[in-house]
Amino acid sequence: MRLKQDRMNSAERIKALFDYRKPDHVPVSMIAPGFCCRNAGLPITVAYNDPQNNFYAMQWTAEQYGWDPIPQIVRHTVVETLDFGGDVRLPEGEYEGALVIKSFPVKSDSDVEALTMPDPGKTGMIGAALEYGRLQRAHGLPATFVSRSPFTVASNICGLQQFCKWLIKKPELCERLMKMAIDHTFNVLQYWTDAFGAENVFVFMSSPSESNQVISPKQFEKFALPYHLLYHERLKALGIERFFFHICGDQNANLPHLASTSPWRHPSILSFGHEVNLEAAAKYFPKDIICGNIEPAVIQTGTTQQVYELAGANLESGKKIPGGFILSAGCELPIAAPACNVFAITKAVDDLGWY
Amino acid sequence: MASDERIQAILTSIRDAVVGYDDEACERLCRSALEEGIDPNRAVMEGLTGGMEIVGELYNKQEYFVPELLLCADALNAGLGVLKPHLKIENASEKGKLLLGVVEGDIHDIGKNLVKIMFEAAGWDVYDLGNNVAIAKFAEEQQKVNADIVALSALMTTSMLAMPKIIESLKAQSQGVKVLVGGAPLSQEIAKRYGADAYAPDAVAAVKEAANLLGNVM
Amino acid sequence: MSMRPDVMSSNERIYALLAGKPIDRVPLFPFIPGFCARNVGYPIAAMYSDAEKSFDAQLKTMEQYGFDWGPLYGYASYGTWEFGGTVKMPSGEYEQAPAHVTFPVQSEADVSRLQLPDVKKAGCLPTAMAFSKLQERSGMPVSIICGGNFTIAGNICSVETLCRWMLKKPDLVHEILRLATDHIVDIVRYWVETFGAERVIPQIWEPSAANYIVSPKQFERFVLPYFQESSARILDMGVKHILYHICGEQNANLPYWAQVPMGDPGLASIGEEIDAETAVRYFGDTCIIIGNIDGKVILEGPPEFLYRLCTDTIAKLKHAPRGYMMCSGCEIPPNSPPYNVYVMRKAINDAGWYD
Repeated sequence: MRLKQDRMNSAERIKALFDYRKPDHVPVSMIAPGFCCRNAGLPITVAYNDPQNNFYAMQWTAEQYGWDPIPQIVRHTVVETLDFGGDVRLPEGEYEGALVIKSFPVKSDSDVEALTMPDPGKTGMIGAALEYGRLQRAHGLPATFVSRSPFTVASNICGLQQFCKWLIKKPELCERLMKMAIDHTFNVLQYWTDAFGAENVFVFMSSPSESNQVISPKQFEKFALPYHLLYHERLKALGIERFFFHICGDQNANLPHLASTSPWRHPSILSFGHEVNLEAAAKYFPKDIICGNIEPAVIQTGTTQQVYELAGANLESGKKIPGGFILSAGCELPIAAPACNVFAITKAVDDLGWY
Repeated sequence: MASDERIQAILTSIRDAVVGYDDEACERLCRSALEEGIDPNRAVMEGLTGGMEIVGELYNKQEYFVPELLLCADALNAGLGVLKPHLKIENASEKGKLLLGVVEGDIHDIGKNLVKIMFEAAGWDVYDLGNNVAIAKFAEEQQKVNADIVALSALMTTSMLAMPKIIESLKAQSQGVKVLVGGAPLSQEIAKRYGADAYAPDAVAAVKEAANLLGNVM
Repeated sequence: MSMRPDVMSSNERIYALLAGKPIDRVPLFPFIPGFCARNVGYPIAAMYSDAEKSFDAQLKTMEQYGFDWGPLYGYASYGTWEFGGTVKMPSGEYEQAPAHVTFPVQSEADVSRLQLPDVKKAGCLPTAMAFSKLQERSGMPVSIICGGNFTIAGNICSVETLCRWMLKKPDLVHEILRLATDHIVDIVRYWVETFGAERVIPQIWEPSAANYIVSPKQFERFVLPYFQESSARILDMGVKHILYHICGEQNANLPYWAQVPMGDPGLASIGEEIDAETAVRYFGDTCIIIGNIDGKVILEGPPEFLYRLCTDTIAKLKHAPRGYMMCSGCEIPPNSPPYNVYVMRKAINDAGWYD
């Protein structure tokens, strides 16, 4: 094989970034639990119900493509729809890539009042996630805690459409849901910290419902942002130092608000969709590691050359980012992405990503 | 019968009620319109649809987002609920027929629902198949409905892969059918590669693209 | 990025092996057209109908997984189309190669009407020639996959008819075999005239002569003489090496195979049905051995089992007297998990170096 020899392993590479040092080459991180299952010849449901095989699929795929799986981004620890009493099913068939919601826990105003806090040790998929965390720790990896922002979690308790209407008509209902969302998240996170130790937990958060394709920056500032501040207050109080924030979708208009507060510990890893320019992101968040942002649809449907060029362009911008840079897809790596296109990203780092 | 001035005032108020997502006001004003002898078709077109056109512009200017759009649609539907029984049927589908669905594997339907809202507001007959619609169902339903345009929505890269198969089956069934696609992972280039006739990045653009498609046909 | 770096390029390795010189590590020989299509996101049919796409997909995939030798063009039902029948290209999820639709010979009377195809125009040969021009440009061996003689005969009249006629109408079988043999020689002659004898390495695949179908005695009577003849005629043109793919269960045929001249050295590709020691006993002194990782294991894993199978096979064959290239026993199933294909190269990395 023609790929150059690494001078650091993944842990050293990521640690270098967190110390504001340059690693040997740009690391590669992927949100890819489904892709990893497919890559290892397993059904994608393994990502939800088979921690052992899921772990090995993720490890093998990271090895094959030269990724740096720290943190290892798995399926969600907090599955809010399920945790709060709704119903989901595993993906089926060729075209489903994630859990399918069968019913939301909240369907009406009165359901919001009646909602009770889940038991953090028992509900949803927390059991499988815990088993996965133990595997990670047994292999010297941090235990990843994966959830969404309080705003997004809340919207998944009643359905995004209903949540959007209540934002304007009955904001107090949204507030109650967000309060329950953050409390539940931290109940589980406390459980995680007790199980693994704060120094061994790597928290991952995504915020798709906050995208400006859904809400305005004013709505973000009013409803979502206060919970980001609260979230990080509580995260710091728990002693957790490692945070990865996937700012999903087009959130360009939210960035000034996030930047003015930047409530997380620095550096954290901030991951952006293809809709956000990496250099602009770096200007907003100079003290953080920027991650992104090859368009997933291009990885899936583009030519290998197109993917290589996009990755190359990202590397050119990313290497200049003072806070550090990790190359990634702009959102979850498509399960059906041709392997050759995914390898094009590896090749681009090998050709262009060395410091 | 109300005066021209009075008619204008009511129609403007209906528009404002839609734009202001005030369900109750919209319903009340539509009732007033009927009571004062205003042509219900005119109330729909100039009041309700006129209101949604303004909403569309506000969405384009990024002053209105999804929450506002949804509530404006609720207001429109509240008013339409009052006016619909009184509408003249022959004008019901003067713009066109649209068959619409989120493709197999995908349950994300806000985008599709917004498209439905905008098309209905613009006077189209919309047949909504819902979400996670099996590949074969689109061609089956199109056989029954004979829509001018079939619109496909997908949010996920996994589910967008169903689109080429759906488009192929639709075109095999009837060369003349037009297919419009949209959703976050889509683009003009991908739409073309998939064999679609048009792509729209959002619900407001979708109505314009559809009108263009029919305009080209005519 | 954690593999030991190659000391030689792929072409250097292959030509050194063919010349009997030392090489850096065991090469990985490709038998992967369908897998390459999936890897790059092309329809499998493109691997047989479009020379450029086929070459491109294979080249990219070979680079990604560390295969040697280079892209190849050919398929098992070769001969049907070329002699006047029809084939269809693979489609759908489960078809992996062109398949017969109508045979050139459907009755006894058809046999006497058979004519030698025009090698410049018949069937897939123009595509094969376009493909070989791409091989030439890349500096790799120019391979033409033609036959084998008995398999072509079966593709002319159907294997079932051939089997019946072997017992009832052997003269007809010999007539068809005569044409098949002359056709193979014609093809190679055309290739030699175009590229020079030094560059051309014909590949002759012989699945229909497996012992699932014919007895060793039938092999001796109907297969061996024709192989011996076509091989001699090809080697007389100045071709140095011929690759024979001894497909499937052919243990009882091996004493006859060992009498087929294959060049100096020849290349004997074997399936998992023939064990390593047996292969060395029959071919070790005259041929580079190629094989023989079970395709079912590549398809279904688990990866640890496949890895052990590969390292065990390397241990047994690495020091075969004329050399060894690791390969699947037959075409790698197109749906093989990418990680499993990677494991093959990993096994070479861990166990296949000549230090």
